[in-house]
Amino acid sequence: MAEMWINMGPQHPMTHGLWNLRVKIDGETIVAAEPEVGYLHRGIEKICEARTYPQIIPIADRLCYGSSLTWSHLYCLTIEDLMDVEVPERAEYIRVMAIEMQRIASHLMWLAAYAGDLGLAVGFTYTMRDREVLVDLLQALTGSRLTYNYPRIGGVAHDLPPDFERDTIRAVQYMEMRLKEYEDLFDGSKIFMMRNVGIGILRKEDGINLGVTGPSLRASGVDYDLRKDMPYSVYPEMDFEVATHEDGDCYARYRVRMDEMWESCRIIRQALQKMPKGRWRIVAPRNAPAGTGLGRVEDPRGEAVMYAVGDGTDRPYRLKIRSPIFVTVSAAPKILVGYKLADVVAIMGGLDMCIGENDR
Amino acid sequence: MDARQRPKPTGIVLKPMRRTGKQLARTLILGKPNTVLYPEEKLDLPQIYRGKHVLDFKKCIGCGNCVLVCPNDCMWLEKVEDPELGKIERPGVDLGRCLFCGFCAEVCPTVALHMTTEFELADRDRDNLRLGPLDIRDDSFGETFIEERQKRLVPVLDLSKCTDCEMCAGECPEMCIAMMPIENTDRKKPEMNLAKCLSHGKCAEACPEKALTMTEVYESYFDMSEPDLVLEKCSGCGACARKCPSEAIYMLEMPGTEKTLKGGKKGKPKKRAVFVLEKCVGCGRCHKACRFDAIDMPGVRK
Amino acid sequence: MNLFEFCHGIIHWLVDLVNNLWYWLGDFLPWYFGDLFTAIGDFAASEGHLLFMTVLVESVVIIVVALINVLNFLWIFRKLSGRILDFYGPYYVGYRIGGWLQNLADGVKLFTKEIITPTKADRLGFLLAPVIFVGSSVTILAVIPLSANFGLSTTSEPGEYVSAGALFALAAFSIAPFAILLAGWSSNNKYTLIGGMRSAAQMMSYEIPLLLAAASVFLLAGSFNFVDIVDAQHDMWFFIPLFIGFVVFLICLIAEVEIIPFDLPEAEAELVEGWTTEYGGMRFGLFYMTTAVRSYAGGALATAFFLGGWQGPWFVPDEIWFLIKAYIVYTVFMWLTWSVPRVRIDQMLVFGWRRLLPLAVLNLLIAAALKSGGWL
Repeated sequence: MAEMWINMGPQHPMTHGLWNLRVKIDGETIVAAEPEVGYLHRGIEKICEARTYPQIIPIADRLCYGSSLTWSHLYCLTIEDLMDVEVPERAEYIRVMAIEMQRIASHLMWLAAYAGDLGLAVGFTYTMRDREVLVDLLQALTGSRLTYNYPRIGGVAHDLPPDFERDTIRAVQYMEMRLKEYEDLFDGSKIFMMRNVGIGILRKEDGINLGVTGPSLRASGVDYDLRKDMPYSVYPEMDFEVATHEDGDCYARYRVRMDEMWESCRIIRQALQKMPKGRWRIVAPRNAPAGTGLGRVEDPRGEAVMYAVGDGTDRPYRLKIRSPIFVTVSAAPKILVGYKLADVVAIMGGLDMCIGENDR
Repeated sequence: MDARQRPKPTGIVLKPMRRTGKQLARTLILGKPNTVLYPEEKLDLPQIYRGKHVLDFKKCIGCGNCVLVCPNDCMWLEKVEDPELGKIERPGVDLGRCLFCGFCAEVCPTVALHMTTEFELADRDRDNLRLGPLDIRDDSFGETFIEERQKRLVPVLDLSKCTDCEMCAGECPEMCIAMMPIENTDRKKPEMNLAKCLSHGKCAEACPEKALTMTEVYESYFDMSEPDLVLEKCSGCGACARKCPSEAIYMLEMPGTEKTLKGGKKGKPKKRAVFVLEKCVGCGRCHKACRFDAIDMPGVRK
Repeated sequence: MNLFEFCHGIIHWLVDLVNNLWYWLGDFLPWYFGDLFTAIGDFAASEGHLLFMTVLVESVVIIVVALINVLNFLWIFRKLSGRILDFYGPYYVGYRIGGWLQNLADGVKLFTKEIITPTKADRLGFLLAPVIFVGSSVTILAVIPLSANFGLSTTSEPGEYVSAGALFALAAFSIAPFAILLAGWSSNNKYTLIGGMRSAAQMMSYEIPLLLAAASVFLLAGSFNFVDIVDAQHDMWFFIPLFIGFVVFLICLIAEVEIIPFDLPEAEAELVEGWTTEYGGMRFGLFYMTTAVRSYAGGALATAFFLGGWQGPWFVPDEIWFLIKAYIVYTVFMWLTWSVPRVRIDQMLVFGWRRLLPLAVLNLLIAAALKSGGWL
């Protein structure tokens, strides 16, 4: 068979969003790949310039459907840096707990999509079912299921609802039980290992040079986690380990995310234990001073950065968003070439695509 | 984890089959699946859930803060005739554009606007999604709703009764009341630093004219912009005071500005607007009502 | 009473009834019409015509029973997948019988849809592919007997069926790759083309171990006839001595009916719907149904070859025993299907040629040793 281009996208089961991966195949082997993004461009950075500071929080939620809470949290961090607002300590603990729950939910959604891609339907339904537990908790906390609109500039919107600690501890116990089941379901399956081990190897140097961050980089053996290396919020007081893996293949990326879920369970328990009493919100100023603010967080998908410029009014002059997935998808051709067509789903699924934040 | 320590999958496919077999036994023989059969059964939603809006007409003062804060411009104020309340203005909401962020309920100074757990809002006609104030009216909803925002007892000033006696300033144990002279008038008004107020209520007890009353006020987390009077431009027409939903604007006479009429008689003195900022909700309606641009309000469009 | 006698009796009764009417009608007519009427009536009552009509009715009965079983298979497929995946499966349509009518409802819905042919498709191939696929698959059902009394035969002797029925079933089973390749190629779509290519490679490489495993059964039974094969298992079902062959046969069947560990031709994630991507409406419905037909045929073959066919305790009729065993085979297929991900094409071919083929040959050697040693 001669070489031919295949469009995987924009409407394709593999893409999980609206983007296009063009691969050139020789028989079943990939010889070139070309990601095309931008189908979901909504101009969020420009929309933000016409909104007041609190009004941007729900828009920041819309950046990523998988982990909307981390993005609104990042936005609030940025604007707090810009306005020089001190957040009450209880709010910081609530935020850390909520974004770790969001991290587990996001990783579970990734696992569901990944299992669905590989053809393991039970993996899809079981993970989505267990994600529901965390989504229900976040719903009780924030009042919504997907776009939470929960962090505020200077705190969080609501205090913990009654019985929330008890429910959270139960949910964490349930999750730890379930994670063992997933390890049986995925690691214990010979066919899953056949599809993952040694596929899509990203070497350490390549990962650093291409700017890949997050679990994909940690799977290549680089110990780089903003929660440890450049701590924000109350992460310095949390006791957890950064999950890394040496191999850099699809299995390593899977393993790193699974280990991160275990660590997130630990962080949630600690945050609940150490949470002080007190206020959860202060009144933030309406206008930001002229100046700049920068926020960097460890998103479930990598390092997310927001940079805000204020000009003394109640609207930002400029808001720049750095999406981790935009960089990761740019690195995809390097990982893809040389593998089989069926490995495209394993590799691209393993990178955890989210097009909302990618196209902004 | 080292590559050599990778777990060996034992039994090729037997481990996952054991898990799915357990699940099969659980759903087929012992119990029922996890699915919620939606139209027949429904999930319990927390009270905090953000669904359809509900407005308490009696609590609402028609300030329009919800309209101001809405990110999608999906709310508007509408004039309604009510047999009890007379001619009033109340907000309506376009659910077709609403993004259910809940800012409108959060910013409401009198906690008149709530969001219910009703989420089945689909309709075949887009016009039916535009809910006017009467469609979202439910005066009894607030009783069933436990408001999370904290209430505070703070003294609220009625400037028309105030006689500048300075009793309140003397009584306050936290020293948070100061009598400030009002420019161009011979009056003074007690300025309260509400951040320091501990709700002792001594000022209200001391007030001989009952101009200060202790009122329950909901805490607001939104820093709304405040009106600022440009005294040279104010004509004293009183349009702002009539428009103010929280009655925070008083028209005071400025002695010494009387015009000499024909025949040597002196006319009435000019008036000026005085803001009692503790009562102000920051809605900007005075700014919109003023035809002389005498009220500055940053961030509010006319 | 077996199926032939039953159908023959019905036809005989019908012909008698009609002929009485016919001759009575002929009495009123002039002599030349009367003679014609008598000739037609005599032909209808002749033995050849009766036999022909009997076989026709027999095949209709067999096809109807088989298709009802196929509907059962589809229902098991959907219900069991639902329960393994933790949801209800079909529920509302046919609420009292567990959602059994859902497949009929889906069929009616698919019938109402427009049949679309892509502009650049090869029209003849596009039309022929489903015909060959469905036709060859449904043909298998004709030769699979449910018991010694329930099958397509031309005599009233029990168990006198098509003499090489098993061979015919396997032959009809392996026509499908041709149709799939035709469908994939004529759709003029890259996904379908790759799907068709994969399907051809997969089916051809798994055909050989399948046939070798079946050959060991034929060797032990000494016949290609279903009845002889099942009778040979009277003392011991073949899956005990030929356990390796049984496993190889099941794995190859999974590959032949294209369910999940080996559903590469319609790998949903990378090739949108594989070789059925361009087919819509009832053509897709026929493909969907035919997959279940092939599952049913596969389960029936495994039952007849290895699981003792219709043999079982007396308190359940033979036909029901056969179906129960076929259902159990299919249930195990489903259980495996939902527990594992899909393999890659090169891994699959390696597995087929390097693992299954030697095992099948080994199994054939065991069968030959058993036969020549006279142990069975």
